Amino acid sequence: MAPVRPNPFIPFTARLKDSIELTPDVKLLRLELEDEAVRNSLKYQPGQFAFVSAFGVGESPFGITSVAYQKDGMEFAIRRVGTVTNALHELEPGAIVGVRGPFGNYFPMEEYKGKNIVIIGGGIGMAPLRPVIRTILDNRQHYSQLTTIIGARSPSDLVFVNEYESWSALPNTKLELTVDRGDANWKGRVALIPAVVKELQLSPDNTVAIICGPPIMIRFVLVELKALGFAPQQIVTTLEAKMKCGLGKCARCNVGEKYICQDGPVFRLDQISTFLEQF
Amino acid sequence: MVKFIQKTDLLAWLEDLMKERTLVAPAREEGVTRFRPVNKASDVVMDSGSTDLSAKDWFFPPSEVLFTVSKADGKAVITPTTLAREAVLFGLHPCDAQGIALMDLPFLAEPTDTIYAEKREKTTLVGLACRQACQECFCASFGSGPFDKSYLDILLIESGEGYIVQPVTEKGQKLLTPAKVTESNIATPQPPAVNSLPIEGLVEIAPKIFNDAYWNRVADRCIHCNMCADVCPACYCFDIRDYTGKGGVVERVRTWESCQAAGFTKIAGGYTPRPTKGARLRQRFYHKFLYMPKQLGKIGCTGCGRCVRVCPVNIDIREIITTMQKSGAKIGAGSS
Repeated sequence: MAPVRPNPFIPFTARLKDSIELTPDVKLLRLELEDEAVRNSLKYQPGQFAFVSAFGVGESPFGITSVAYQKDGMEFAIRRVGTVTNALHELEPGAIVGVRGPFGNYFPMEEYKGKNIVIIGGGIGMAPLRPVIRTILDNRQHYSQLTTIIGARSPSDLVFVNEYESWSALPNTKLELTVDRGDANWKGRVALIPAVVKELQLSPDNTVAIICGPPIMIRFVLVELKALGFAPQQIVTTLEAKMKCGLGKCARCNVGEKYICQDGPVFRLDQISTFLEQF
Repeated sequence: MVKFIQKTDLLAWLEDLMKERTLVAPAREEGVTRFRPVNKASDVVMDSGSTDLSAKDWFFPPSEVLFTVSKADGKAVITPTTLAREAVLFGLHPCDAQGIALMDLPFLAEPTDTIYAEKREKTTLVGLACRQACQECFCASFGSGPFDKSYLDILLIESGEGYIVQPVTEKGQKLLTPAKVTESNIATPQPPAVNSLPIEGLVEIAPKIFNDAYWNRVADRCIHCNMCADVCPACYCFDIRDYTGKGGVVERVRTWESCQAAGFTKIAGGYTPRPTKGARLRQRFYHKFLYMPKQLGKIGCTGCGRCVRVCPVNIDIREIITTMQKSGAKIGAGSS
């Protein structure tokens, strides 16, 4: 008898434990997988993603924003932009959703040990970076300087605000905030993220820069990092792409010989620059 | 001596097979010939030539339910789609069988698409040799031909009042058990001559002409009808959506999709990495001639000629291959 293969399209069922408003259009959904055995054995790494289903509406891929070792449910920070995210935002705690994953590669946190880490996140691009920060803070002695640069369109669009204190409390741990447009209460920086990268004069020595955000932000951050002397091998990003299956089959996220869902979503710049197309 | 079955005995065999299995064969439906389950052997179009739609329909249909979700007592009950009966896919031509072998590459690769794999395991492929070559086909380029048995379980070659029977696999041999096959000294006809195009070297040429204006020029006349992808035996892009049916039962449905569609790569927020027709048309041919060979080991084309026949604006894959070869020669000459 051939071994029973799991049907890769079928999600785990999960309960919505909490739905917390992070910004006017972003909610943090905390999900608890219903099957206890799965709940206890499911492993995932910073940078991996999963599909979340609103049954009857559809499923969409999201970066997992929690760390597996906390065992407090899977978290997704979801911006309301379309039909599926709209349905997920409407759900009340206790609702049943589907979770399919984890998929994709992840940030090689072991490889980064002993290095300075610069994390650059724009808007909801912080979602897959949050578990990277969490992992570094929980293993602080293994990593050198941590500089986190977070930007958003406006102060009310900043995500995970109540965690910022812990993201800058430890020694050698810096947090830089910026917004495109301030408001009456904003006393911080008003600048685009690439300008902040330039302003901070980050040193490329023994450093890796991890970026996630809108494509236009990434493009201009790359310009600044290159100007500061960062080599392509020192720059890592996680690519967003239209995806339907996560299995390297539906071909939505096909770019060159790669499937972002299987070969990515985490790529170094030297890998991305071999793509024939800009993604 | 060859194995032989009379035409009437063949129909009787098919009727017999239908008792236990689903018979999927070329049949007329709303003006097109396509592979679909038939209820009686006489519905089978025995001389279909190249069917309008390819044989991929059975394994990878235009739309199929992946699973259903129903809610009961606050719980979600997920029921996967399974194939109840074994099946016989009858009347496919050698290029169709090769198309299925190409479908196998993505769908059977890890993580295996179990829905596809189950259908594949439970289906026996009974092929019909081509009586004549299609005008637009160039299957010889891919090592196939009118009598090619590769990827089939049984090949039937029409001769006189019946068919020469060539079992290829054990699965095929087993299916023939109830058939009235006799030994005969009837002559095996000569296979008709088929066209061939030079396909060697496309993998090397493609990256060099990626930014050539040629792709935009060809795409100028594309009208996004996606017919090329629908009829293609090797195109496997798909979409997944939910539908809520009677009684609130949710169906998660997979449907064909095409990389030629404008929104194919559009992500949340509106960014589209492949925003122009030229980029999308190039993606289709590069996926076939460069990415598939590199990822999965084979060119994503069987030379069946269907896309040539259906394209309303005469975009011709043969012309594209020829142009790529010519520019490859030019690049080669320029660099020497």
